[in-house]
Amino acid sequence: MTTPTAHPDHRSHTAHEPHTYRVTPARVVRSEWHKLRSLRSSWITLGSAAVLMLAVGLFMGTTYTSDGGDSDVDTVVLVLYGSMLSTLCTVVLGILVTAGEYSTGLIRASLTAVPRRLPVLWAKAAVFAATVFVTMLATSLVTFLVAQFFLHDTDQAASLSDPGVFGAVVGNAAGITLLSLIALGLGALLRSVPGAIGAYIGGVLILPEVLSMFPYSAVKSALTYFPTQAAGVLGSATPLEGDASVGGAVIALCLWAGASLGAAALLLSRRDA
Amino acid sequence: MIRAYELTKKYGDNTVVQDLDFTVRPGTVTGFLGPNGAGKSTTMRMLLGLDAPTRGRSTIGGRAYATHRAPLTEVGALLEARSVHPGRTAFHHLMALAHTHGIPRDRVEHVLDLAGLGAVAHKRVKGFSLGMGQRLGIAAALLGDPATLILDEPVNGLDPEGVRWIRNLLRSLARQGRTVLVSSHLMSEMALTADHLIIIGRGRLLADTTVAEFVATAGDASVKVVTPQAEALRDLLTGPGIDIGITADQGASPAELEIRGTDAAHIGRTAATHAIPLYELTPRTASLEQAFMDLTQESVEYRITAPEPTGAPA
Repeated sequence: MTTPTAHPDHRSHTAHEPHTYRVTPARVVRSEWHKLRSLRSSWITLGSAAVLMLAVGLFMGTTYTSDGGDSDVDTVVLVLYGSMLSTLCTVVLGILVTAGEYSTGLIRASLTAVPRRLPVLWAKAAVFAATVFVTMLATSLVTFLVAQFFLHDTDQAASLSDPGVFGAVVGNAAGITLLSLIALGLGALLRSVPGAIGAYIGGVLILPEVLSMFPYSAVKSALTYFPTQAAGVLGSATPLEGDASVGGAVIALCLWAGASLGAAALLLSRRDA
Repeated sequence: MIRAYELTKKYGDNTVVQDLDFTVRPGTVTGFLGPNGAGKSTTMRMLLGLDAPTRGRSTIGGRAYATHRAPLTEVGALLEARSVHPGRTAFHHLMALAHTHGIPRDRVEHVLDLAGLGAVAHKRVKGFSLGMGQRLGIAAALLGDPATLILDEPVNGLDPEGVRWIRNLLRSLARQGRTVLVSSHLMSEMALTADHLIIIGRGRLLADTTVAEFVATAGDASVKVVTPQAEALRDLLTGPGIDIGITADQGASPAELEIRGTDAAHIGRTAATHAIPLYELTPRTASLEQAFMDLTQESVEYRITAPEPTGAPA
């Protein structure tokens, strides 16, 4: 029963040759890219993320004074301070990409087209990660250069060729991307937009603050590997004492994102849609 | 060809579908009937691999749905609730689905026109009426030019013109040799559209039969006779399995008889042989709706399975 003619109920085809129609991973990626770009909410959240980073960077650049007491702040962190706000936008987009399909019912159409299911999740994650990374990298670079235009005569003057600076700008975009991937996984796990936003705020933003109140050094060193803290390491040109190493931070963030996506994949393949 | 083998779905202690065995053949429109909550949608979701059966299995075109390499060319499905993001346009919704199979843009535009959505293809689905939403769902089902169609309540929310469009579409798809399974809780609609019926109640199979056979077996067929010699005719016809009721006033002439267990031809011949004048001889078949109600009302206590038809219905 592998050839179309073996199906007793296959009628003759005229305009199309169905044997060329087949689900491939590349086609699922293309489908997810089409989905992402054909929704207004994608452009709004990504645009907001870019505008917020640029606006905060511009504000930092134009208002900074060398004697304002912020001389010890990392140059890249200072300039890309808006990343925190941008991340909230891309986190929301990540949740919309997955949980949004459940709230609208589109997931049933998606899984009917790709009944093996997991390619849909991987394609979503890949398309989303690439889009967020490229957008945030471009925004980070532009913001850095624009802010530095105003900072060139202060003690925060820096250039992309300074040690650690370019890496931190790239790391900043990578950190935002991986944090947002955690959110995308949470959206697929919880299948609810408000639920996933709540879980992200509670688990990723608030939980580390609560844990930091415990007076144990083990807790403190564990906290440096939590998502937001690890992303902070990636976005800094000069490492702070007590922070995780860059390599450790990358591994930690990848593990967080991987755990979120892995749990989502496990449930996607097992649960009724 | 759709086949279900002992398909069963339980949610905890609640059995929604139990031991469903049926075959849906190509070339016919098969109505999948049952009252609300009978398990129709759950069964369809299991056929499409969206819900995993607790027990049993099903195949479409000889294999489990999820194992097809181009599922949209094998099965087109319309599910009960909308499966569309309201923020996307009709065109982009279909194009996103089409990309998964490498289906080209002209096919997307073709099904949009076929569903009568050409003029609103680039409008966001948010503003669509229930009927337009159904049409978009049908367009999505036809996208891959599939050999099998599984449609859950497709006439829901359609205006009379839309209902007729669906009816003609389903019949023409079946004529092309496709397998068409369409669910409904409206027997009257299925009587006009379907050739074959699979009826379930409370998740169990109640009947798997043709429309005509269903009326004959589950229905209440009788012949109405009006004659001035009611007593004489009754005596001539009386026999095993024949039930005769005189419904009009006994003394009145002519009287009205309601006869079950034989047909109008036999009654007419008997009357002619014995020179009994007949003023009226009317075969009455029960309405399909009535037969369906009778069957599903009893579904709690009884399980009626008509013998499986031996060949494809003419």
